[in-house]
Amino acid sequence: MEKLSFVGKSLPRKDAEIKATGKALYSADLDFPGMLHAAAVRNPRPRIKISGISDAAAKKISGYRALVTYKDLRGPNKWPLVDTDYPFLPEGEARFEGETVALVVADSHRAARAAAQAAAIKYKELPFETDPLKSLEKGAVKLYGQDNVFAKFFIRKGDAKKALAGAAYTVEGEFTTNYQVHAYLETQGAIAVPQPDGGLVVYTTTQCPFYVLDAVAAACGLPYNKVKIIQTVTGGGFGGKEDVPALVASHAALCALKTGRPVRLIYDRTEDFRSMSKRHPSWSRVTYGADKNGRITSCVVKYVLDAGAYSTLSPIVLWRGTVHAAGPYRIENVLIETYAAATNKVPAGAFRGFGQPQISFAQESLIDELAAKAGKDPVDFRLHNLLGPGDATATGQVLTSSCGLRELVEAVRGKSGWDKWAETGFRRVEGNKARGLGVSAAYYGVGLGARGRCLDRAGALVNIYKDASVTVNVGNTEMGQGALTVLAQIAAETLNAPYESVRVEEVDSTKVPDSGPTVASRTTLMSGNAIIEAAKPIRDNLFRTALDLLKEKGADIAGMMQAADGVFSIADHRVTFGEVVKECWSRRLKMCEEGWYAAPRTTYDMKDGQGDAYVTYSWSADVAEVEVDLETGVLKVMKLWGAFDVGKIINPRLADGQAQGGMLQGMSWAVYENLVYKNGIMANPNFTGYVIATTADKPEYDITFIEKDYEDGPYKAKGMGEVPLIGVAAAVANAVKAASGVRVNSVPLLPEKIWQGMEERKISGGKK
Amino acid sequence: MRPELLVRPSSLAHLWKTLPSLPRDRRYLAGGTDLMIAASHGHAGDCWVDISGLKELRSFRETPSSLFIGSGLTISALAEMPAVKKWLPALALAAPHYASPSLRNMATIGGNAANGSPCADGVCALCSEKASIVLLLKGVKRKLPLPAFFLGPKRTALRKDELILGFEVPKWRHVSAYEKLGPRSYFGISKVSVCVSAEISGGVVKETVISCASVAPVPLMARKAAEFLYGRRLDEGTISEAAALAESEASPITDTRSEAGYRKAMVRVLAARALAKIAAA
Repeated sequence: MEKLSFVGKSLPRKDAEIKATGKALYSADLDFPGMLHAAAVRNPRPRIKISGISDAAAKKISGYRALVTYKDLRGPNKWPLVDTDYPFLPEGEARFEGETVALVVADSHRAARAAAQAAAIKYKELPFETDPLKSLEKGAVKLYGQDNVFAKFFIRKGDAKKALAGAAYTVEGEFTTNYQVHAYLETQGAIAVPQPDGGLVVYTTTQCPFYVLDAVAAACGLPYNKVKIIQTVTGGGFGGKEDVPALVASHAALCALKTGRPVRLIYDRTEDFRSMSKRHPSWSRVTYGADKNGRITSCVVKYVLDAGAYSTLSPIVLWRGTVHAAGPYRIENVLIETYAAATNKVPAGAFRGFGQPQISFAQESLIDELAAKAGKDPVDFRLHNLLGPGDATATGQVLTSSCGLRELVEAVRGKSGWDKWAETGFRRVEGNKARGLGVSAAYYGVGLGARGRCLDRAGALVNIYKDASVTVNVGNTEMGQGALTVLAQIAAETLNAPYESVRVEEVDSTKVPDSGPTVASRTTLMSGNAIIEAAKPIRDNLFRTALDLLKEKGADIAGMMQAADGVFSIADHRVTFGEVVKECWSRRLKMCEEGWYAAPRTTYDMKDGQGDAYVTYSWSADVAEVEVDLETGVLKVMKLWGAFDVGKIINPRLADGQAQGGMLQGMSWAVYENLVYKNGIMANPNFTGYVIATTADKPEYDITFIEKDYEDGPYKAKGMGEVPLIGVAAAVANAVKAASGVRVNSVPLLPEKIWQGMEERKISGGKK
Repeated sequence: MRPELLVRPSSLAHLWKTLPSLPRDRRYLAGGTDLMIAASHGHAGDCWVDISGLKELRSFRETPSSLFIGSGLTISALAEMPAVKKWLPALALAAPHYASPSLRNMATIGGNAANGSPCADGVCALCSEKASIVLLLKGVKRKLPLPAFFLGPKRTALRKDELILGFEVPKWRHVSAYEKLGPRSYFGISKVSVCVSAEISGGVVKETVISCASVAPVPLMARKAAEFLYGRRLDEGTISEAAALAESEASPITDTRSEAGYRKAMVRVLAARALAKIAAA
């Protein structure tokens, strides 16, 4: 094992101080001379035909400047994303409540808000559809193409239906999950600043500065080299700042071009709720079959995502869900069909887990039912079927050695006292409260995979100044997950530079080439590898020069040179990183390099869904202990045991934070979060009505990492951000089943649903 | 959004003098915890009259037979008062269920009533304490039993510019229990709350007041259940029957927070739990 100085250590976060002390400058904190303020004029109804927009009343508001509509676009009215069905600003039709129809610009935020209220959209209501299953029926209101399907995928392996017919045990269930709101602390916002040459600099809170670049250049008809995107300190993303900041920034840019002044556009919480991306609601029907020995022989899945009014990221969210839909098991026969359906609701998109948590909830709930039918302990049943090194996934991808799933399940089994709980049927009752234990297993393809392969590359720029301070520029963002810190550790390790001397900057689109989005748990892997690529030639220079200096100091160069903690040494002779850098500069050696890393090829075939889907996978196992009030159905998650294989851990403290945050966010989705639409109108678009977990709801955590090296990863790391969230809902649902006897097939697992289930069981004498 | 105009009268006399000169679309600002939310939805008017500095609204007086609670007292201030702990056990028990510590430091008991919400924890508790509400308009006082103050969701008996001076609560020897179902462990608006105050003498119920939150258009007084309990021992059968009566009196709705059927059933569960706690006290 290589001895490491910086990687694998809990070094302090680079951005801790500015965030903790309030010095960090978010989008809304930036100010520019002559800056104006924009506000959105929004569609008040689910679907409308627009006949005009009048700012007659807005003109009476003091400080009002301009109305900006699709007519102000300088390029085609198509936001370039996976597809181009989402217009920058609608022309004839607006398709969901809260959609930006136009913008108003004014001297103050207050005047802009008042003008947006005063602006009048002239419209006629159109028939609309809010139910994704109805949207897929023949004769449904036409919202997209001929069939309202934004995307569909298939996986066909073996003969799943035949295998099901011959199975000793079969289970089938229908499951639904509701939206999840990202609830980032910082709402969406952007500032566009016109430049003397007609170009623009755009400051924005985003996970994907290069999506913003694509969109602003397209909307404004500008060449890319006249648009600069600067990522501001980003107050949370979770997927919610993947695609939509590009739309917000384009709107700010159009306002800036029209007025010739810097324009700031900051969303308030309610409009952020109403118009920005969400986790997709889902419907699924899952069927499993097993033979008499408890081996899973067949899996059939139909999975539908409620995509909302425009396709945005739905095709790729759906594809990830498709690939993982059968669960992390060896199954010879798999049939999966999946659809992203158009509805007249807010477009859903990326959210930590990206189409996987929904189907994981369904299939892992059902695996428990299958284990019960086969008369097996849920953990034993899983261990009997789990994927391991050398096994083939549902897509036929043969796994490498970087798969520790069985060890993860064994770890949570041991730590949770699973076998002791088994003696009482995973249920302990005290008074009118019952505790239950439940398990789940999950996996997560790291990076963009076959469907996103064209974007799966990243650049880095490493520059060592004369004073030996180091700046690293990358194309992936810090959004709270710790990227600045982890990437600084990788740079420090590769260069043998003191960690304190390395500074990683927020993304500036002119410093590094398009590095794809900051999503899919890919930043450590992609930007990390790009930094290593960039640092290698500099490292060679540094190490050669260090050896020369040590030789000059009288060291015996036959001995091995040690490079650790920013010091180079042979025996008692030593030189510091600073001394070596100074010498490199005096020798006119190149101390600045670019790196580029492209993900290895994947072989997945879209026709049958067979082939390598992702370059590697991260793995997780969860056990949840819950308490259910048997009279009220009130559910509390008491403890979560999580075990994760994410490859090498670069920063244990940050990894622990990611694990805790992911588990808590997964639990919050599973138990509390319930966004409600009533007749196409969002009914609780605020934190008063939309409930998320607080610190008081936080369960106790027990987190284990089992590091299975990924040879192509930076210092053998894989991806961390998402896998802790995915399996939580199913583990909780399985624990609720154990505690209350009720199988809740719908997320969130509200007390109302658990209570209803208990009432039905009373009537049926416990048979249901 | 912030209001166009914020005025801060220095005394009640100053307030009444200033009011005629102010825009018609004016609202009182006390703790601001509800008003700020209304403001973010654009429903809080152009002019706020800040009454948080008025000493006259922050009085607390104790007489041999009653307590007077100024409307401007915050929830956290009230929760710490020895007289509240001694004489108003329902209010003391409800306080920890009330929003969050930071909101309790800001929010006033008067504002909790003025907001007119059927889910208000402070109001629900005061109703079971047999409180009256004292209103004031330009020096003219009137007093209503607290339940009569509420006319419907967000509708109260307050007249234009009238404000809440405070609450008059009789001293009576009772024990209370406060049971709340919120959406999470704490810091949530109730799906259902049931508050019971009872005076038990010689093992039988002498007097009971049962108030419920979030299960009717206004804070609900479960009078049939309370009357049923008069003169009875709080045994299991009695508790069960009273709880069923309370359930029958509730008329909840389905909204984004919960479902009508569940809420109704939970009135029975919470009422039974509250009564059992009182029986055990």
